[in-house]
Amino acid sequence: MFRPVDASTPRPHDRDPSLRWEGRHDFPPRVGGFRAGEPGAPDVRSPSRFLFWLMRSMGWVVPTMTLAALSWLVPGSLTPWLLGRAIDAGILSRDLAATLGWVALLLGVIAFGVAGGILFHTLAVRMWVIAIHGTQRRVGRKAADLGHLLGRRVPTGEALSISNSDSDQFGATIEAFGHVMASALSFLFVCVLMFSTSPTLGLVVLVATPLLLAASLPVMRPLTAAQTAERTESSHLTSLATDIVAGLRILRGIGGEQTFARNYERQSRKVRRLGITLGTWQGVVEAISVLLSGILLVVLVYLGAQHMLAGELTVGELISFFGYAVFLVTPMRTFFDSAQRWVQGLVAARKTIALFAADVPWAHRGRQVAERPVLRDESSGVEVHPGQFLAVVSADPEASAALADRLGRYLPPLTGEEPELDDLKGRKLRLARKERARVRAERARADAERAAQLWGVTADGIDYAEYDLASLRERVVVSDTGASLFAGTLQDAVDPWGAHTREEAERALRTASAEDVYDGLPGGWQGRIDEKGRGLSGGQRQRIVLARALVRNPEVLVLVEPTSAVDAHTESRIAERLVEHRRGRTTVVTTASPLLLHRADVVALLVEGREVARGTHVELQAHPDYRRVIARGMEDDDE
Amino acid sequence: MSEVATEALATSAQTWREGPPPPRMPEGLRRPPRGRGWVTRLRDYAALNRVREEMASRTMAEARNPERGFPVSSGRTAVGFVGGLLRERRAVLAWAVVINLLASGAALVAPFLLGDLVDGVAGGTIGAGTLDATVTVIIVAIVVQAVLVLLARRASAVLGYDTLAAAREEVVRIVLRLPLGQVESSSSGDLLTRITSDVSKMAAAVRWALPHFIISMVTIVATLAAMLANSWLLALPLVVTALMMWFGGRHYLRRAPAGYITESRSYSVISATLTESIEGARTVEALGLCSHRRDQLDEDTELSGQAERYTLALRNVLFSMVDASFQLPLVGIVLVGTWGFNADLVTIGQITTAALYVQQLQGPLDRVIMVLDHLQIGLVSTTRLIGVAEVEDDRTPQDVVPAGTDLEGRDLRFAYREGHDVLHGVTLELAPGERVAVVGPSGSGKSTLGRLVAGINRPRTGSVEVGGVDVMDLPLDRLRTEVALVTQEHHVFVGSLRDNVVLARETTASDAEVEQALRVVDAWGWVGKLRDGLDTQLGHGHLQLTPAQAQQVALARLVVADPHTLVLDEATSLIDPTSARHLEGSMHALLDGRAVIAIAHRLHTAHDADRIAVVIDGRIAELGSHDELIDADGEYARLWRTWRS
Repeated sequence: MFRPVDASTPRPHDRDPSLRWEGRHDFPPRVGGFRAGEPGAPDVRSPSRFLFWLMRSMGWVVPTMTLAALSWLVPGSLTPWLLGRAIDAGILSRDLAATLGWVALLLGVIAFGVAGGILFHTLAVRMWVIAIHGTQRRVGRKAADLGHLLGRRVPTGEALSISNSDSDQFGATIEAFGHVMASALSFLFVCVLMFSTSPTLGLVVLVATPLLLAASLPVMRPLTAAQTAERTESSHLTSLATDIVAGLRILRGIGGEQTFARNYERQSRKVRRLGITLGTWQGVVEAISVLLSGILLVVLVYLGAQHMLAGELTVGELISFFGYAVFLVTPMRTFFDSAQRWVQGLVAARKTIALFAADVPWAHRGRQVAERPVLRDESSGVEVHPGQFLAVVSADPEASAALADRLGRYLPPLTGEEPELDDLKGRKLRLARKERARVRAERARADAERAAQLWGVTADGIDYAEYDLASLRERVVVSDTGASLFAGTLQDAVDPWGAHTREEAERALRTASAEDVYDGLPGGWQGRIDEKGRGLSGGQRQRIVLARALVRNPEVLVLVEPTSAVDAHTESRIAERLVEHRRGRTTVVTTASPLLLHRADVVALLVEGREVARGTHVELQAHPDYRRVIARGMEDDDE
Repeated sequence: MSEVATEALATSAQTWREGPPPPRMPEGLRRPPRGRGWVTRLRDYAALNRVREEMASRTMAEARNPERGFPVSSGRTAVGFVGGLLRERRAVLAWAVVINLLASGAALVAPFLLGDLVDGVAGGTIGAGTLDATVTVIIVAIVVQAVLVLLARRASAVLGYDTLAAAREEVVRIVLRLPLGQVESSSSGDLLTRITSDVSKMAAAVRWALPHFIISMVTIVATLAAMLANSWLLALPLVVTALMMWFGGRHYLRRAPAGYITESRSYSVISATLTESIEGARTVEALGLCSHRRDQLDEDTELSGQAERYTLALRNVLFSMVDASFQLPLVGIVLVGTWGFNADLVTIGQITTAALYVQQLQGPLDRVIMVLDHLQIGLVSTTRLIGVAEVEDDRTPQDVVPAGTDLEGRDLRFAYREGHDVLHGVTLELAPGERVAVVGPSGSGKSTLGRLVAGINRPRTGSVEVGGVDVMDLPLDRLRTEVALVTQEHHVFVGSLRDNVVLARETTASDAEVEQALRVVDAWGWVGKLRDGLDTQLGHGHLQLTPAQAQQVALARLVVADPHTLVLDEATSLIDPTSARHLEGSMHALLDGRAVIAIAHRLHTAHDADRIAVVIDGRIAELGSHDELIDADGEYARLWRTWRS
């Protein structure tokens, strides 16, 4: 009976969806499609389209947030006017009733503003968290969808930074977007108030505020430079500290504490110096802002007092103008900031769509892999028969790893690193970015081409390209040397599907000879395994990975060097039990260890990627190439 | 053998969990409120908030007192630590306070003069001349204020960054003093979190919050003083501000650290889950774990959403209080002002000044709560950082010198968990220059034996002596020249090539010795070609070494350290087979002339040794040369035959 790969086991967290918090416009958001063309899939045609798509995907949240920002900002602009009226009509005319009236109005406006502020904050956080959680969920789904292809599309570090920092940037950008809308409206509102009182003073404020803000722009460049310098060196300092922790065994075991304490200190002092420079520039910016708003104040005072002396302006109105001048600085600053925010948002969006636009190259085919398939790899000529325990020996270990990849229908992992763009600036950066995008697009195209061709491995005589990939993954499981352990309990590590019995798990643990891991963890099955199996030895990790593959119990299991980090005693024990465990099913093991080869039903010898001989371990002893490969494993003679 | 296995999984039935794991979301949070009518709804929300509060305080308690990992110090110790740093910088601190006070004072001049001006205009007692004079004074005041602000911010930055630099350098020194046994046995995860996330939280507190606390407090005090000087009557409405800030701030500050720590933890969890899913994408695909990873991430984000909702509610309460607290006094000033103006107690100018001062208070008042918040979070992080220093040292160096290079372990027993000995009285001697291979199944205690012999852990009973002296009595830098554990972790440090090699003799080794060591391990071929030679910078962003080169550097470190005995553990050496062959020569050169205990995985290592010790279940079951053991026809002989057949 065939089960589709994803629904193979009951999901541990499956619950009635109506019990969940998530909704379309609440956080965490329910995310829709993630492949091109699916409903709810992001618009990846350009960075700005992506940002607008993100806003639209939040439905009413962004417009309401903008309205809330308006209801928070406008009362702030009304306060100076009401204060002025209260002074003129109330205090100065000694009219208690009028004062009380204005005060009541002032109270109402303040209460409205406070409520608006809270509403704005609530909605802004909602929008922000929807952006973060939504992006994270999409990254997670995309990673699961792409599988081993992920590393061929986007480097892991970049995918992580999308979920960790770019997602946050989207929140900042969209908030700035709503904020700037509301600021523009409240700005207009204040202008109307000012002009209705005194056109001259209104004009002065309106012209002077942007001019003064623009005048402070020249210092923003050195400030940003100082910030960047401090941040770069600071992160370098952090990496020195993590480096010390990572190599602490060596530093405490062999020595060198003073050297690295000194290196850290040197960098720490450098950051301190840069920090003080940064602090000074921040001081300069603040001093300039004091100076500039001071100038505006002085101009207002001077003109206002003259107007008042001329009887054109009342005391209350002058006080109102002081208030407007203070108020207007905020929306103006918002305008300047938001331009920057939008640019940062675009940068984040460009990185994000690089991941979201990536698609799996496999065409959908419906054929299901038979229950007990005969597999044949064309390029090596290796045939895998049902129920057989086949060992593959190769002079070049990479040839057998490549065979395993082909049998599992995996594209080979990438070699070589992409050049880093950190140190580049301006034109060079743009060129490098373009070149990188080109290389990636080229690779995606090549992958798609490769996926469209015949794969070169047949199951029951039919090429892999004809089969449904999910059905293949279900039948043929490859456990490679890079297989990851995930954090959780030991039970989760051995049975991540949560669908197997204790007896199955115990049997697998025994076969993998990993009882010592169970014994070493306080809490047994519920003992914690840290991420990447940190805290376990290399051999222990390898044996747990083996136990997990055994619990999965697929029809065809391909194990790449499953005991390379295990000692001879344990290896011999594993070899004995592994064959017994897999009896009746198909197993392919790539290895050069006589302890394992000894137990295999058949051994295939690869030379230059082709099968040249096949037989039992004992039969093959006569083959000179075979003897040489095995001897190398045993005696390490240098050739 | 099968008996042992049964015993090993004896508790399996008790610890196995039937069915899916329990949901991590607390029961009360699993569904959104569905109450009808706003009263029920509100009650629902309050109930949810209580559950979230419990969740936050549980997380906080865990953060303060981790189940595993390094200790956490008390809040008082952390305050003492920061206080000590500030005491050392008394002059800088005093200057920062004084200059900030002056800057705040200068900011109070303009509103005061404006009040006068308004009075003058309102009273008709002002002429064009006085107006010009007042405006000139205001300009001077503003210029002075600008200069003082610049100086004050710089002084604050000096204080913040200087204190921070001292604090983090001290933390790194603490880490570098950690006892050897502790370093070898604990996973580096906890320490890594502390050195990254806790240091950055402490940094935010010291670098940003501390100076801004000073700035805000100084401004508030100065403005209050000015308000009182302007008119004590018009300062009365500030009582409302004080009360609201007090209650609002207290409610918030009591809960905020737990809330934010829960929130930031929830994001670390998301990040960890995603890191695993991304780095292990192929494994996820191969094993059909897509839906499980998705569900895990979905649950992570749901939990994170709850943490976000909690801090959102906290902030909303705070903001409503704070916003109201500095807007309401304006109303108060108008009301009190009307009455006072009627009674001729205040002038319109004083009202203007008071209104302007109240506006100036907004910024600092707004900030001071956030600053206190960061200071609290920074303090929690500091307790975790200083806590690392509370690990007790496991050795008390004596003034002893070994008389010889022979090594002897007698009656060694050791337990990682009390009552669970992994070694049961092992005795092993090692003559100078002798090679002993230790073989045995995993979990038999051979790695533990290696660590005891290398003086990393103190045995529960018995002792390891080198030249008649207990290795645990030797000072660490002396121990390193006697016996070294070769873990073959090919970690390359960020730093120069020289820094990477001298380690054990960082103060004494000359360049010639470093060069000689690199020659011995066959690395001079590529090192000699480097343009900057030994000064070449290694590590991220600089020259990246190949695994084989990194391994050579690791071996050169040991040549420089020059211990007479080496403990090699193959369990921790995951060199890829191709480079292993190239390194054979380098390794050979290192081992030449030294006594070696090799914890061997590969039987050929054992075959080449002078003697072989077969360790099974914490005891030496067989001991002798290869031929002797083959003749004895025991466990080793059986294994050897399988291997060779």
